[in-house]
Amino acid sequence: MRIIFSFLLIMTGITALSQTNINSSTFGMMEARWLGPGTMSGRITAIEGVAQDGKTIYVGTAGGGIWKTTNAGASFKPIFDKYCQSIGAIAIDPKNPKVIFAGTGESNMRNSVSIGDGMYKSTDGGDNWTKIGLEKSEHIAKIVINPNNTNIIYVAVPGPLWNSSKDRGLYKSTDAGKTFEKILYHDENTGCADVAIDPMHPDTVYASNWEFRRLPYAFNSGGKGSGMWKSVDGGKTWKELTKGLPAKPFGRIAFAVAPSAPQNMVAIVESNETGLFISADGGENWKKQSATFNVVSRPFYFATIVIDPKDPKRVYRPALSFSYSSDGGYSFADASNEGGWVHSDHHALWINPNNTNQLYLGTDGGVYISLDKGATWNFVQSLPVGQFYHAAVDDKKPYNIYGGLQDNGSWVGPSAASGGVSNGMWKSINGGDGFWVQPDPTDPTIAYAESQGGNINRINLTATKAVNIKPQQAVNEEKLRWNWNTPIVVGVANKKNLYMGSQYLYKSNDQGRNWTRISPDLTTNDKKKQEQENSGGLSADNTSAENHCTIFTIAESPLDEKMIWAGTDDGNLQYTLDAGKTWTNVAANYAKAGIPAQTWISSIEPSKFDKKVVYATFDNHMYGDHKPYLGKSTDMGKTWTLMNSAEFTGFAHKIKEDPINKDLLFFGTEMGLFATLDGGQNWFRMKNKIPDYVLARDIQIHPRTHDLIIATHGRGILIVDDISPIRNMKKETAEQDVVIFPTAPITLTMGQFGDGGFPSTGGWVAPNPPSIPPIKYYLKDRVSSGEVKMDIYDAAGKLIQSIPGSKRKGVNLVQWNLSMKPPKIASGGAKLDFGGFLAPMVLPGDYTIKLKVGDSTYTSKVKLVHDPADKNFTLEDRKLQYKTAMEVYKMHEQLAAVVDTINAKQKLIKDNLSKVKDSTLKRTMIAYNDELEKLRAECLATKQKSVFADEKRLREEITELYSGVSGQEAAPSNMQVQRVPVLQAELKKKEQTNQQILKKYDKQVTDGLKKEGLVPSGEKKGF
Amino acid sequence: MKRIVFSLFLLGAAFITKAQTADEVVNMHIQAIGGAEAWRKVNSVKLEGTLKGQGFEANINQVVLHGKGSRQEFTLMGMTGYTIITPTNGWNFMPFQGQTAPEAMTGETLAESQDQLDAQGVLVDYAAKGHTIELLGKDDVDGTECYKLKVNKKGGSPETMFIDTKTHYLIKSISITKANGQEQEVSTNFSNYEKLAEGIVVAKSFTLPYGELNITKISINDPVDESAFKN
Repeated sequence: MRIIFSFLLIMTGITALSQTNINSSTFGMMEARWLGPGTMSGRITAIEGVAQDGKTIYVGTAGGGIWKTTNAGASFKPIFDKYCQSIGAIAIDPKNPKVIFAGTGESNMRNSVSIGDGMYKSTDGGDNWTKIGLEKSEHIAKIVINPNNTNIIYVAVPGPLWNSSKDRGLYKSTDAGKTFEKILYHDENTGCADVAIDPMHPDTVYASNWEFRRLPYAFNSGGKGSGMWKSVDGGKTWKELTKGLPAKPFGRIAFAVAPSAPQNMVAIVESNETGLFISADGGENWKKQSATFNVVSRPFYFATIVIDPKDPKRVYRPALSFSYSSDGGYSFADASNEGGWVHSDHHALWINPNNTNQLYLGTDGGVYISLDKGATWNFVQSLPVGQFYHAAVDDKKPYNIYGGLQDNGSWVGPSAASGGVSNGMWKSINGGDGFWVQPDPTDPTIAYAESQGGNINRINLTATKAVNIKPQQAVNEEKLRWNWNTPIVVGVANKKNLYMGSQYLYKSNDQGRNWTRISPDLTTNDKKKQEQENSGGLSADNTSAENHCTIFTIAESPLDEKMIWAGTDDGNLQYTLDAGKTWTNVAANYAKAGIPAQTWISSIEPSKFDKKVVYATFDNHMYGDHKPYLGKSTDMGKTWTLMNSAEFTGFAHKIKEDPINKDLLFFGTEMGLFATLDGGQNWFRMKNKIPDYVLARDIQIHPRTHDLIIATHGRGILIVDDISPIRNMKKETAEQDVVIFPTAPITLTMGQFGDGGFPSTGGWVAPNPPSIPPIKYYLKDRVSSGEVKMDIYDAAGKLIQSIPGSKRKGVNLVQWNLSMKPPKIASGGAKLDFGGFLAPMVLPGDYTIKLKVGDSTYTSKVKLVHDPADKNFTLEDRKLQYKTAMEVYKMHEQLAAVVDTINAKQKLIKDNLSKVKDSTLKRTMIAYNDELEKLRAECLATKQKSVFADEKRLREEITELYSGVSGQEAAPSNMQVQRVPVLQAELKKKEQTNQQILKKYDKQVTDGLKKEGLVPSGEKKGF
Repeated sequence: MKRIVFSLFLLGAAFITKAQTADEVVNMHIQAIGGAEAWRKVNSVKLEGTLKGQGFEANINQVVLHGKGSRQEFTLMGMTGYTIITPTNGWNFMPFQGQTAPEAMTGETLAESQDQLDAQGVLVDYAAKGHTIELLGKDDVDGTECYKLKVNKKGGSPETMFIDTKTHYLIKSISITKANGQEQEVSTNFSNYEKLAEGIVVAKSFTLPYGELNITKISINDPVDESAFKN
């Protein structure tokens, strides 16, 4: 016995320890709302469809995972939310379309490109995935499957962008992805950019090698490693294809094999003479063709060329815009915008092989569908995969969210709206690539937004007019260096302060009309890192994306407007305590904590609780180091502590301190959102409808609603409504079996916007936050045995509502609509009467909550208050509304009692009529039934048999009044009040008629039945 | 002392035994819900319950005669709708919006609904019934560690089942139904397991997207009037 007892203690201890860990499941039902929007989508990197049905299509995105449609694009759902969100390539097994391969890490190697973590495979159409290898590949450009033997797969791996690596080249699997072998490799700086096989001779494989490299301040595409290769033995041996191609060095080569005539090939070869080449003999000989600007534009970024599956002459070149050729590539024309504009920058194209008019195009702004070979396009508005860089909020009700997106400008949209937040509610306020957008907290008509390279505008939101307010180079100053993603920041301590930074920090107190430079050059000003005009390699590419030695982040202390922090993209972290007169650089100090020098200071968070405390994130991925560096200093940057966790993945973007709980921090990285409740000792990954590896670029906490707003680079805006339970969660709380969280007084309301309505066809509608604050309780464990319900009692102890409670582990939310139970209404009739779903709102006062969990009951209180500021609905109005509604409520219940009696008597007659022998009794029963039915038909609609035809009887008349009075936040009108006694009189008549009928027949019938030995039967239940 | 430690070790080992195959998980689950023998004796099930949401309460009655028929009735405000499924026919009658006569199910829906005629549940003797099952490893269901099973049913509607690794009860399922070829997911959470006199263990609470269904009465192997399956 002792042994068993000891064992139980051990197990209990283990269980207790394991259960008190605070993690994402602790917060149970606190799930993120996906605000989207879909009106500006994000970069699409891969599209593949199932040839067999032409309707099942997989869309890979730059930072939003994989989305699947089974209806040709009418609706999509995400199917890759537990994995890396950057997708490079997708392939579908042509023999078994349930088998899908996904290569993570897109290969559009722009400055902001994300990374992947290898190859994944699904055998059930994307419901479940398994990682199958190439974990260090970082970028995957293409996957092709041998159509004759689908165990054979080729994977083109450009490999890491920011560093040398052997994890690149062309890989082959002969066992359906169990193992991979590298079959074409040049060197550590050269990867494989493209691969294709001859579908009629699948051992013939073509591949292009690509030498490329990014540095934080330059890009190079091209080198001796780049080249075009061919194998005729499935990759065992290779020969380089050169005849007719230009002189090397090459850059990126995109090519295609005509599926229906595979000797025909087209290729875009980046070189000193970048051009389009065609071959009619399987790549042995090439001939240069004239090409339009679009066909040869920006080869490192536009690496897609596709030949029609059936027509070898029809060639498509999705690039800056959309070009097509009908003569095998000899000539190209650009598609017109007839039918609507198509977003520029194209990266993916799928042609339905069984209906080659049907095209799916992936752009920097989402997916487009064409049914006429690309002549006209429809935009898919239901993919919320926008790539935000930053987000900000205002204090309007409901508040708005402002943000800038990769290649999609700057936008503002509401956090809630009637019927949900739909695409059309988002308003475009600035063009170009969007980054920082800051609403002016002192002027609700103004916001500041920018395009790449610091081109800032002051936007009048009412007139949607912009004024350029970019600071200019002064006399004797160096040329200004503006980051691609130039920081624009409004002061926290003094909301009139507006900051932005080149290598210098600027401040304005008058909305950017006048600027003052308040710093020297805060960067290292390393001239070797400022040769952007030479960037690009073989093709010049200098779009401000490589600008360097610039200020990248700015933060004004919430406690002191003179304390300003600035971080640069070349490792300097500086502060001033005198509003910019003097600056102190702490770069050498953070390096002592193990944070590499020269990192990008990606965010700075001066504490709201202690002037000396500051947090900062450090992004070193542009030097090939993807570790998440998160530092904290408690002495103004003199010493730093590197915060770490086994949970962390991805390089660091943002640290956010909660404004109320100093130990609550949120940390956003390229691969996840993390939170700590103990100041950074323990961290957990935030899930609950936040993709596990979400690209969390920016984080805001709304000061009024306490919402957590996450700007993602691939999933638009995510909002976790009211994080108070996270903020208030203590370990002691988490250890309790059941806790009802205190509920702040709730203002009585029916809500403003509703839940969010129906999803719009072809669009994106985000649900609204709860209009009424939910009642929250915590369950240490999921309840697998016993009921969970919440009973609510008024001050007199009367049960007024009973709501089923959820049983989820962690925080559960109960939405009480602040109403009592609906009335029992007259049952039956020709259709449902919706009066039975409505109930009057309760009156202000104290209410008791009894939460029943299994056999235990937990009690709490909630106070409901009237909004005294509501001049349109005074407390007196409310009382009159309640009184009137309850009078009508009672009418429903009284009528229900009449109808219940009728139903019971009619059932008695029906059950016994055929058994009765006495013909007089039988006639009496028929007459009794007829009179009852006549009364029933006056009480409620019994004849109407169509939803399209109204039939109004007393029940429906009561409901019309009842729904009007109880469904509004207003005093009843004089006529509504006057209608009450009219209906009461009608009801009285029905009750009297009922009594008269009963008096006339009931005893007679009951006695008769008894005499015949027919005991009145009860209602039959079940079967 | 050594013996004690050894015993504890064995006990601990038993606790952390990991299922390696789908069959092992299925067997553990069936064992937890009463064992295959007890379930094989189930020929009919009658259920009564209430479906509650905020502002409404409906009565549910269901009868299943193994392999022959299923009838589910839904009563709201004195109006009753029903769904009937047999091996060859299926009917829906939902009068709440003015429908006046039962409507026949499509062949696709009828085929997908055939597992509702299985009073013993799809996992008992699943292979003999023509279903296949894959173990997809473990997954986290709202903080509860589960085995994840993909059940590919003979009728064509796949279902993903999540079996609690501790209790071996089914706690969640995601079934995919098709309407005119379009897939639709339905997620159900199961709780409130209770052992019946027949030795089987059943969930008496089902959390559906639109409310919670609680079973108030359940009868096993009561006689069934097959006229209930006639439209």
